[in-house]
Amino acid sequence: MAPRACALCQKGKAMVKRPKTGQQICRDCFFYVFETEVHNTITQSNLFKPGDRVAIGASGGKDSTVLAYVMKTLNERYQYGLELFLLSIDEGITGYRDDSLETVKRNQEQYDMPLKILSYDELYGWTMDAIVSQVGRKNNCTFCGVFRRQALDRGAAILNVDHIVTGHNADDIAETVLMNIMRGDIARLGRCTSICTQGEDTIRRSKPFKYAYEKEIVMYAYFKKLDYFSTECIYSPDAYRGHARAFLKDLEAARPSAIIDIIHSGEAFEIKEEIKATQKVQQTCKRCGYMSSNELCKACTLLEGLERGMANSGITDRARKKLEAEGPAPDNLRTIPYFKLASGNPTITVETPS
Amino acid sequence: MSSCENPNTDKDALMTRRQKFDGQTKICVKCKQNTGNVVVRYAVYCKSCFFLLVQTRFRKVLEPSINAVPDEPRRKALRAVGSLVIGFSGGTSSTALLDLVAKTYFAPRTIGDAKDDAALKGGKDHPRNAEKGIWKGNPAVCYVEVCGAFPGEKDRIEEIREVVGYAGKPFEYIPLRLEDAFDPNWWDRIGGGNIGTSARILGLDLSDEGLRLVHSSSNLNPHDALRMYLSSLPTQTAFYSAIQILIRILLLHTAASRKASHLVLGTSLTALSVNLISGIAQGAGFAVAEEAKEEWNPRPEQGIKVRVLRPMKDIGMKECAIWDWWNGLREHGRGKNAIGALTRDFIYGLESDYPATVSTVARTCAKLTPKEGSNGVCIMCERPAQHGVQGWKARISIRSYHEASSAVSGKSRPPHLTEDEISNLTKFPVNSSSATSNSASLTARLCYACHTLLTSRSSRGTSSNPAGNSSDVPLPLWVHPTIGSADAGNPVDNQGEADEGTRSVKLSRKDMESRIADFLLPDSE
Repeated sequence: MAPRACALCQKGKAMVKRPKTGQQICRDCFFYVFETEVHNTITQSNLFKPGDRVAIGASGGKDSTVLAYVMKTLNERYQYGLELFLLSIDEGITGYRDDSLETVKRNQEQYDMPLKILSYDELYGWTMDAIVSQVGRKNNCTFCGVFRRQALDRGAAILNVDHIVTGHNADDIAETVLMNIMRGDIARLGRCTSICTQGEDTIRRSKPFKYAYEKEIVMYAYFKKLDYFSTECIYSPDAYRGHARAFLKDLEAARPSAIIDIIHSGEAFEIKEEIKATQKVQQTCKRCGYMSSNELCKACTLLEGLERGMANSGITDRARKKLEAEGPAPDNLRTIPYFKLASGNPTITVETPS
Repeated sequence: MSSCENPNTDKDALMTRRQKFDGQTKICVKCKQNTGNVVVRYAVYCKSCFFLLVQTRFRKVLEPSINAVPDEPRRKALRAVGSLVIGFSGGTSSTALLDLVAKTYFAPRTIGDAKDDAALKGGKDHPRNAEKGIWKGNPAVCYVEVCGAFPGEKDRIEEIREVVGYAGKPFEYIPLRLEDAFDPNWWDRIGGGNIGTSARILGLDLSDEGLRLVHSSSNLNPHDALRMYLSSLPTQTAFYSAIQILIRILLLHTAASRKASHLVLGTSLTALSVNLISGIAQGAGFAVAEEAKEEWNPRPEQGIKVRVLRPMKDIGMKECAIWDWWNGLREHGRGKNAIGALTRDFIYGLESDYPATVSTVARTCAKLTPKEGSNGVCIMCERPAQHGVQGWKARISIRSYHEASSAVSGKSRPPHLTEDEISNLTKFPVNSSSATSNSASLTARLCYACHTLLTSRSSRGTSSNPAGNSSDVPLPLWVHPTIGSADAGNPVDNQGEADEGTRSVKLSRKDMESRIADFLLPDSE
């Protein structure tokens, strides 16, 4: 069989069938269109301005490894004028991050980007291993999810950056749209397709891979010979999300455009005004200063439960009432340091490439 | 990213199963006297209270939308401005709908019945009011036979006729066929309007993504036109979705031709949730509100505004089946779908483990509204269409350097191409898919979902597609007047498992290759 010509440049030999479009294209065109589509996503949303300090949420997995590479490439090619940093969170799960943090450290050298690793232990005084030993495996994802989000914001504040970019890809977003519809989470459904989110006083967070298929990210890493670790935490059974993920994969197999079609649907609707009016107004946590829907933010609620030996108080209403019945939090309770956006130079030393 | 990388996971672990009912009592929660016969969403009901429950839910959805002004006080009377058409499929909830409509609004009064005599004394039950129905004219039941799309399938028009006339129901029966969508005689019969000669001879080129309109040389009968249209669609999903669209528009035009103000459909809560998720998965998010309740405006000369209602939308499929069973009704349903079938299997599966999911989907979607920016109405599905769709598609996936010329020229050109090469590629389209600039195309007239239906491909293709000629595909008749009147313009590998509690696997080139193997083309020289 004669080699097929690339459907885009008509010059190179077609090497891949693009999962997103079904077109048979050459490797160089694949690199180029993948990067240009990410560039289009960035410029269309005016994500950055010259001089912005941007932290890349780096886990050492495929998405963040490719994101770091592509951000560096685009920053140079299109002269964004960004100052890029790597920011990693160490959850404190024995063995979990060890290998992948090595990848991040290698990226730090390869891409010449300063790296900051912030641990749960350092910030909350609890590692995930310790949390799981107290709460068991059932609800530990709640702690990890809440703690990670705040850890990223705090790490970004330490680095004094304006912006965090994460490697959430199109599959993640489509899956989240479906999940939020099925569990009736209207507030999150309204914002999960936004490319950029920002709390009242938190750092902007963006998803430049919003329209990039997971398979294409793996393909990009493969052809660019970028090594990464596939890290799946088995503390995280996450059965419900597993249902949604399997369903999405079935949809994608039936019609590959399904992923992008779901994102398009999510972008096409919004929450009715009368429903928005019933949503909780965002406030500031009275204990740690982080954005919150209640007097105490979720992280402080969870941490108080852990510290007082009633970890479920942040999970169920019954446990929360039991905690409240035992009286107010003691004065010597360990709390999260007060959150404030840093200004000027980084408040702590970050590791810089040697 | 792996699941735990997402900060939105905090509620996932809360999705615990709940007992079907508390198990402490089997007494009906409504009358608190009889032993319960059925569990509906954790609550036990006896047979008579179950009937009341279903009928109340049915009326609660339907009645606020009967009068011309929705949700106005209805103390005096229910008066529709037009007639009633019931879309009937023969399925479980459709059968229950027909029975409920007949019993609630068209039940014959038995003279001599003491209770009825008392009721006939006055007020809204006075005999003079009994003569006036809620809807004008005779109610009609419309059934669309789809066997034309499935060779070998049984024609059920006569079977359904018996069901509709069963026990003296007062309905007029209007049988339709899917191929009527391509039958000029049907179009004339319903007063669809004049189709210009130039529009009548237009076909659609589905051989590429350009969706060019071509002068059709074929003169197919409606059945063959239907078969050709469906077999030319690029995916199984498109095949079944196209049938759903054809059925819906056939019903709407029929309703308009009867000056109907209401078209009621038997979509149950379960089916509604499936339709909502399936629609969203096919890019129809902009029209998500239409899935539960819509108002369709026929052409001015054709009829009045038709309100499409789904009175069974608060009643689950299980309750519909129980209603049918206890009323001795038989169902005559059939049908499957690609994305639709996957969604149905998924929602049914979740329903057994997380019974509240079905109503959560419907309640969540009821809180959504389309973002601003409607470009009018899609000529294929006749639902609101969003503007800027093609620009959005072109930005997020580059399909040709010609279409993305502004982004790929100059300093940002592909590094492996010379300036001359990229200049040529951006100046001239390299394949016919881009060669639409000089010829009429359907693209600009379609909503995102219909454009995707006609263009999105999969390696599977349609099962029924006989490698036929897809460059001259007939179009449903309602598309013609419009185009004639305007310018056509991971699973993670288990190897390398580390400590208990963690799995961290450095992916080898081979592992990475296995994940994308389906998309790598063989090295053929």
